[in-house]
Amino acid sequence: MKQALAKLCVAAMVYSGFAPPATAQDNTELRAAAEETKPVPVLSGGAAFVPTWDSGNPDLVSIISPVLLVPVNRNLIFESRAEFEGDFVRRNGNSGDFTGAIGKSLEYAEFDYIGNKYVTFTVGRFLTPFNIFNERLYPNWIRNTQTDPLIYPIATGSDNGLMVRGGVSLDKDVTLNYAVYFSALSTIDHFESERHAGLRAGLFFPHRRLEIGVSEQHQLQDSRFNRFGSYLEWQPVRVPFDLRAEGTYSREEGNGLWVEGAYRFRNAPASLLRRAQVVGRTQIFHTGTLAGINPDLPDLDTKRTEFGVNYYLNDGWKALATYGRTFTSSGESNIWTVGMTYRFVIPLGPAQ
Amino acid sequence: MKTLWTIFLGITIATGTANAGSAAEAPPPVTQPAAVVADLNPQWIAEGEKRFRANCGRCHQSPHKFQPRVMATAVRHMRVRGMLTEDDMTYVLYYVTH
Repeated sequence: MKQALAKLCVAAMVYSGFAPPATAQDNTELRAAAEETKPVPVLSGGAAFVPTWDSGNPDLVSIISPVLLVPVNRNLIFESRAEFEGDFVRRNGNSGDFTGAIGKSLEYAEFDYIGNKYVTFTVGRFLTPFNIFNERLYPNWIRNTQTDPLIYPIATGSDNGLMVRGGVSLDKDVTLNYAVYFSALSTIDHFESERHAGLRAGLFFPHRRLEIGVSEQHQLQDSRFNRFGSYLEWQPVRVPFDLRAEGTYSREEGNGLWVEGAYRFRNAPASLLRRAQVVGRTQIFHTGTLAGINPDLPDLDTKRTEFGVNYYLNDGWKALATYGRTFTSSGESNIWTVGMTYRFVIPLGPAQ
Repeated sequence: MKTLWTIFLGITIATGTANAGSAAEAPPPVTQPAAVVADLNPQWIAEGEKRFRANCGRCHQSPHKFQPRVMATAVRHMRVRGMLTEDDMTYVLYYVTH
């Protein structure tokens, strides 16, 4: 009897070590306490001035990107992001006056309805959930390296339609996140969209801070291309290091990958140094069977490696400088970026 | 050159009027009413902070804590964008609003 009791005690202790941190009753109380604070509409976003010298030709990239978040009720939220980007280049490449236009785009304007713990429904114009850069890392104040990855133009941008997505705990050590979507063709100015169906699925291991995932997109118009992707994100718990990588394959458009590492001197003895982050990214792109069909992709097989420093100032400002070298079959060139980014948050109502 | 200065000035003015948030340091404490502080559950706070750091770091540097109602909106946004689970959102929401 004593032996059985001892086994039961050991089993209970072992189980409790693996049990979730809160009981059902705790969860109800926790939820009530967490939701005491009512959300308020917020105008957020970022601004960036990141001049880039590619092959010696300057491009004064200036971006303002406001984000509007309007919580309608407990389960419904409206969110939207626009982007105003000026690309000012010299009239004759590397001489003459700077000239250019300001591009305007509505990147997303969507209603999100949190149906239950498994599903959120999104309707409207949304960022295409293909890999991670487009949805999570695109804003200038977030990205560690300012230039877009070479493979970024494949299967990204915005789509108009319906999406089902969610994050679900499979176990205390594993979370599944997924997005499945369908988009309709639109040729309306600033609301352009192609007819697509696609999905993205990832596994996140919170204790290891590791996420891996895959993406697929099928074009439902014109040539009906398929695009495939995979990604990885890792932030070691004890080291202030970010590792991110994406790979994309499209037989027709091309394929490639990028890997980026960033180390923040968070544990440095000098407080000034703790604000600094060094970053390195290397990437490769191979053209597809229909080279040139996507005008935003390089025309030739390309490799690029970049190194840089980000310095996080007070009040949402970030200063940055990056140097990179591009290698193609037609030659090599330098790419420099120096600039500032800023992130702002303005509550549109009482914030306390 | 004039265009360059016009753009830079425009960005500075536009952003200078906004409320600021810092990504440079760990989130500072937020002042709360005495009644709320008295009811704090340290276990929920600790679990919320752990999940906050694990989830928010996937995309960006640990963000500044803004005012409670702003954070209540931001966390709901991240539930969708960052695909947080319901439990993650609840713990993080508790942590950032208390």
